Amino acid sequence: MLALLRQGRRALLLAALCTTGFSAPAAAQLAERCASCHGTGGTSVTPGIPSIAAQPKVFLENLLILVREGVRGSEAMQQQMKGVSDRDIIALATHFSRLPIRPAPGESDAALMQQGRLASAKYRCGICHLRNYRGREGSPRLAGQREEYLVDIMRAFRDAPLPGTESNMSASMYGVSDADIRAMAHFLARSR
Amino acid sequence: MSKSMIAVMLLAAFGSAQAQDKPAPPPAWQQGKGPAMADSKLAPHAGKNTETPASEIPIDKLKLPKGFKAEIWATGIPGGREMVRGAKGKIYVGTRGIGRVYEVTDQGDKRTSRIVVDKLNQPSGVAFQDNSLYVMSIDKVLRYDGIEDKADVAAVDMTKAFNVPVTTHHNWKYITFGPDRKLYVPIGAPCNICEPPEHGAQIRRYNADGSGMEVLARGVRNVLGMDWHPKSGELWFVDQGRDWAGDAGPEEELNRMAKTGQFYGYPYCHAQGIPDPDIKKDKPCEGVVKPIALLGPHASVLGTRFYTGNMFPAEYKDTLFIARKGSWNRTKKFGYDVVNVKLSADGKKAKVKPFLTGFLDRKTDAFWGRPAYLLQMPDGSMLVSDEQLGAIYRVSYSGDKKK
Repeated sequence: MLALLRQGRRALLLAALCTTGFSAPAAAQLAERCASCHGTGGTSVTPGIPSIAAQPKVFLENLLILVREGVRGSEAMQQQMKGVSDRDIIALATHFSRLPIRPAPGESDAALMQQGRLASAKYRCGICHLRNYRGREGSPRLAGQREEYLVDIMRAFRDAPLPGTESNMSASMYGVSDADIRAMAHFLARSR
Repeated sequence: MSKSMIAVMLLAAFGSAQAQDKPAPPPAWQQGKGPAMADSKLAPHAGKNTETPASEIPIDKLKLPKGFKAEIWATGIPGGREMVRGAKGKIYVGTRGIGRVYEVTDQGDKRTSRIVVDKLNQPSGVAFQDNSLYVMSIDKVLRYDGIEDKADVAAVDMTKAFNVPVTTHHNWKYITFGPDRKLYVPIGAPCNICEPPEHGAQIRRYNADGSGMEVLARGVRNVLGMDWHPKSGELWFVDQGRDWAGDAGPEEELNRMAKTGQFYGYPYCHAQGIPDPDIKKDKPCEGVVKPIALLGPHASVLGTRFYTGNMFPAEYKDTLFIARKGSWNRTKKFGYDVVNVKLSADGKKAKVKPFLTGFLDRKTDAFWGRPAYLLQMPDGSMLVSDEQLGAIYRVSYSGDKKK
């Protein structure tokens, strides 16, 4: 975690003033800082760290506020978001929501894919996250997200209701087996 | 009775150490959502955790009866829900997702706000008595003594004294002190539709120190608004209806608590006697107290207040105002308004009329705000919190004075 933090700070220092359409230079620097862990262009290549590209803007805004408030997210993320203004959070969310996601999830397992497809339908994930799992409004994009991150976050919702979620995800994950979680993550990570 | 309930009872009866291995019920949110709903796109609307400046609030779209006016009273309080007024005039506002409780100070020409406490798990319940603010979240009860004078007063942790069950779903609170100086605390059903546990789906009251808990009503689903009739002293409360049983409802309820210890129907019987399609039993509506008024399908009824002020015309005296935050589990949106409810003298009939509308554009089926809670001010005006835009609006009447 500390290493990640240091890496983040260095990226911030090195960040050239930005060309991505931010009005505020602060937000542009922040976007560089995000990309240093979450991947260039917001597609993560680091285990345990989610991709943030192509996520719905409202989802990113609301989650980043909760992280800044210390309600959600890792300590490292809370540290990164400390004191970031609502305005900069909106700029960041707008920026990353417009970037394409370019996942490289690795070999797929046909049986696991099929189990994951069925489980995702059975648990009705598509009602909120849409049938193509690309997300909308407050419901994040699942398609193309990192597999091990999907496993972690689904387990977290199931095992210890996360605050700030208005409880629907915890309620939806209640009683879902580890096997189904692994299969859904495998399938969703390979959805487009 | 469901198999899982029987299993739980058997385990309880035999004191088995295996109680935690009971088969998991389907996800609470999914319960009652049949195969026909698999392709539905109806999902709870996302809230908004970022601040919305006054310039981005289309207050002019609000509509009220003649002589009334709505204005933006306070902004910058994302997720603001229940409001309570302190003895010295400060307003405290609870939230859900963002985890904060705000204190709003009226500076005359403007309002300023600060965060009293943050990082809580859905601290939506706020109440005030004897110079103390009470805050109730999913898992905590906190008391702030003399907070209006001492901004940094430390919280007294009352969690153990109240011993409120810590289930998450439908357990975000609306709390209020009654005329009997006791704290009224509804406990929701931990699901959309299910046989609730013994401690759920009820209305409780406690002494202010957390002692003397009594269960006043059972068979309620998700009670998030209540008030006492100014004349009869009876408790009136609203109850939100179940999801995934179609666009028609069952409609949400306005109930009257003529006496304590009664059963209001959940999960077997809804509205004016609709048996539940999923949780079935013989004679599901027998012995069930029926609502006095229906408040519409999926309306998400919240703030419920009798009007006792002198600013509004006399016809509003002792009538109810009810905020309907608006539907998500319905093809065409419903609610997104504040209604006025006139009760008959015997309290057995009620007439529901729109009062504050314009949050929802019926042509495009799009909403911009979601009225959540109501607070009558000493001058007789009424504050309305908008959970979606994190704002408070003030509704006043000046129709007569202009003549």
